[in-house]
Amino acid sequence: MSEPVEQLSQGAPALRLHRELAAIWATGPGLQRLAAVNHSVIGMRMMITSFTFFAIAGVLGMLTRVQLATPNAAFMDPETYNQVFTMHGSMMLFLFAIPMVESFAVYLTPKILGTRDFAFPRLTAYGYWCYLFGGTILTVSLIAGIAPDGGWFMYTPLSSNVYTPGINADVWLLGVTFVEISALSLAAEIVVSILKIRAPGMALDRMPIFGWYILVTALMMLVAFPPLILGSILLEIERAFGLPFFDPTRGGDPLLWQHLFWLFGHPDVYIIFLPMAGALSTIIPVFAGRPLVGYRAIVVAIVALAFLSFGIWVHHMFTVGIPHLALAFFSAGSAIVAVPTAVQIFAWLATLAHGMPRWSVPMLYVFGFFFIFVMGGLTGVMLAVVPFDWQAHDTYFVVAHMHYVVAGALAFPMLAAFYYWLPLLTGRTAVHRLSVPAFWLVFFGFNLTFFMMHLTGLLGMPRRIYTYQGNEGWNWLNLLSSVGGFVMTIGFALVVIDLFVQLRYGRRVRRNPWGSATLEWAMSIPPAPYAFASIPHLTRTDAIAPGDLALSLARGEGYLGFTRNGWQETLGVHMTTGEPEQLIVLPQPTYLPLFNAFATAAVVLTLLFKLYLLALVAALVTAGMFVFSAHRAGLARDYGPMPVGQGVNLPPHTEVAEAPAWLALICTLVADGTLFTSLLFGAFYLWIAAPNWPAAITPEPSRMLALLAVATLAVAAAAARGSLRAVANGGRARGWIGLAVLALLAAIAAAVGLIAGVAPHPREHALGATAAALLGYVALHAGIGLLFLVSNFLRIGAGFIASRRILDLRLTRLWLDYTLVTGVIAMGLVLALPALVTMLGARP
Amino acid sequence: MSERPIPPRRLWWLAAGFAVWCSALVALYAVHAIGCAFAWSAGSLRLGLAAVLFAHLIVMGWMWRDITRASTDPDFGPTGKFLHGAAIWTLVAALVASVLTLGPPLLLTICM
Repeated sequence: MSEPVEQLSQGAPALRLHRELAAIWATGPGLQRLAAVNHSVIGMRMMITSFTFFAIAGVLGMLTRVQLATPNAAFMDPETYNQVFTMHGSMMLFLFAIPMVESFAVYLTPKILGTRDFAFPRLTAYGYWCYLFGGTILTVSLIAGIAPDGGWFMYTPLSSNVYTPGINADVWLLGVTFVEISALSLAAEIVVSILKIRAPGMALDRMPIFGWYILVTALMMLVAFPPLILGSILLEIERAFGLPFFDPTRGGDPLLWQHLFWLFGHPDVYIIFLPMAGALSTIIPVFAGRPLVGYRAIVVAIVALAFLSFGIWVHHMFTVGIPHLALAFFSAGSAIVAVPTAVQIFAWLATLAHGMPRWSVPMLYVFGFFFIFVMGGLTGVMLAVVPFDWQAHDTYFVVAHMHYVVAGALAFPMLAAFYYWLPLLTGRTAVHRLSVPAFWLVFFGFNLTFFMMHLTGLLGMPRRIYTYQGNEGWNWLNLLSSVGGFVMTIGFALVVIDLFVQLRYGRRVRRNPWGSATLEWAMSIPPAPYAFASIPHLTRTDAIAPGDLALSLARGEGYLGFTRNGWQETLGVHMTTGEPEQLIVLPQPTYLPLFNAFATAAVVLTLLFKLYLLALVAALVTAGMFVFSAHRAGLARDYGPMPVGQGVNLPPHTEVAEAPAWLALICTLVADGTLFTSLLFGAFYLWIAAPNWPAAITPEPSRMLALLAVATLAVAAAAARGSLRAVANGGRARGWIGLAVLALLAAIAAAVGLIAGVAPHPREHALGATAAALLGYVALHAGIGLLFLVSNFLRIGAGFIASRRILDLRLTRLWLDYTLVTGVIAMGLVLALPALVTMLGARP
Repeated sequence: MSERPIPPRRLWWLAAGFAVWCSALVALYAVHAIGCAFAWSAGSLRLGLAAVLFAHLIVMGWMWRDITRASTDPDFGPTGKFLHGAAIWTLVAALVASVLTLGPPLLLTICM
């Protein structure tokens, strides 16, 4: 069934192969740059964008230090100060730290794993545009003087309508959620790509440790972000429509926000740290001149860290009145999380101790990291002790700790990685006369700034105050902190100057300048858009020697060392063994991700300006554009196994069961399921903990409508199976699809009917609001199911779905199964709510 | 090409131990909150919490027995051996974490 359309250009000389591949993979000039989908281009853009936001957030941080340098300063008024420190934290966390580690992952991961690109290049581009637009909304709000001002964690009730009536809080809720779309889409993309698109032969036990770090981080993102997204949606609904999820006077509870925020917030520290630890685990063995000690122990430690980091969110809430016994779970967890972290630290130290360390600029920053992170880790263990936390809570001690673990543990490995991989990006090396003093300025300035904050905190200085009297004993400490801040800024400025000097005057480097043993150095530097002219095959016996390998790959001696049909081709492999199993044809540059992001931005902006009818229209347009984008994705006919080089023939991804899209939907459902579980948690939390819940409730939801909703969802799921069977057997599926559409429309109608009948009214009490949210979730998912079905209908018509290409129909079946399961749970809880309220009435 | 492919579902074993740890933490936190809200007696609430923890420890013990008994299939090669070892160690880590983080707190004052 092998049926290549064009004659293969096998055996082409390296230069010819390069020209042919570059013509296929390169992003066009001028405006065509907006159509870029290549991971190198997007990764680089994300890096530049995140460092731009870092610079803005850094300036904001400096402004706060100017204000606090002396007592009774009139540099800023309190309102401006609130916006400045809120935006400093929000931008550093949401617009710099997370996107920056993602940009590293996007740019480096395919190269380190020996492949040409990610699984879903258009999703990469969409994620980038969402990030850029969301970040721009937040930045513009700062210029307009309407920036968020409730602190970077937006605690309710301060951020609710009563105390923040303008759009400041809405900017945060909608802007950050917009940015999180980017984080989630990239997380799914990264998980799928690491598991399915590696160099053939790269079994999981041979995968570079960087891959493990990024894989676990991306999985953490899939589970960490949904609680915050849910919290932001609920708070925005409260602010916009008055549904009182967080209003204690109407059965809500402000602490629910804290739970949802910190369910995201604590793992987020590790989401930022782990990729940087991955960079360290890559860099340290290179400079120690020996392999990393304890590869398997580190993998186990990363998995342990990922889980433990989720189980200690309450340690940010030790002072809210939770009983001691429950606090002790989280206190013990907060202490024990130091163990897997220590496993990594000792593995790095052992690697250095058993090797012959070379001291170069990246290693200076590694040294800085060790010093800073151990200090931050130790103050973290101090804060894990509840009585100490009660004393230090909301003081500058916490600010100091947070900057040591988040800023220090991010900035120093980031700069180590920056100097390590910069020759790959630029083809040139750094100028030591600048980079060494830059390090010492950053290191000295950092410690001067933030070490002093431990002391001001212990002397009782609270966070977020815009000035102080001057008689508290904080004056000289604050002044030193501010001086340190400026010293650190000069250090960062030197790093930037060093970058420009390197780009202009840096010495050209030979390939693999550090003598590393990872695949990103087995390519031309700076990398070509296709990364590898041919894809390497790894064997167990051979060590990776990037220098030799690069020449062989450039000559096309690996897999896919030719071009075919103008396709962007790469290989999909078995998840665990890394054996090649499919040929993946990637999409070409397109403006669709940009247009989709514009449409999504329109939804966000219309919601921000409370133009809800327009927001609905924009949402429908966005949904329609997604369906349109998918309309002609993939291959419109069967090809069967095709030669990929090395004597191997593989089917295209459209004709295999384990296509990347299948795994991507599973990742999406994991994230979605986390959001749903968080919603259930919210419902039970309000039931058990919120004040002002009624003792009993008489009107009950219509059982008939609930049954109708569940039954129609079941019909839709069954019809999806019918359409799948029909197409797989060569038959027609339109009847089944029509039946599924009708069933979903009926389910939506039933859910909307139930929402209309919710009692108490969703605006009157959190009980009704919770029921409405659960029902809304069901209706929304049924609506998305309709999009799946419309897409199936169009793609069958266009020939992209056939008996051997049934992936779309399997995806629809999975989505409708999920919708049915969550629908049954949601309806069950809505029906059980009156009984739960009656139980509350029986409470002593 | 000599290794037999390890089914991808076996990757879940890497997360299984700590998934049970998460389940234990959430269950204990929830039962404790419900017990305190409905003023269960200190004795019965403590007993309930101990039962929840014990049930999870049993599950982990069963998983540990199951995974250590099932020696690595030699056909799966070094990759199988690596994943098997990593799964055992994550399970051991989760078991230790459960005992250390969830056991001692049960001795504290129940709803204060």
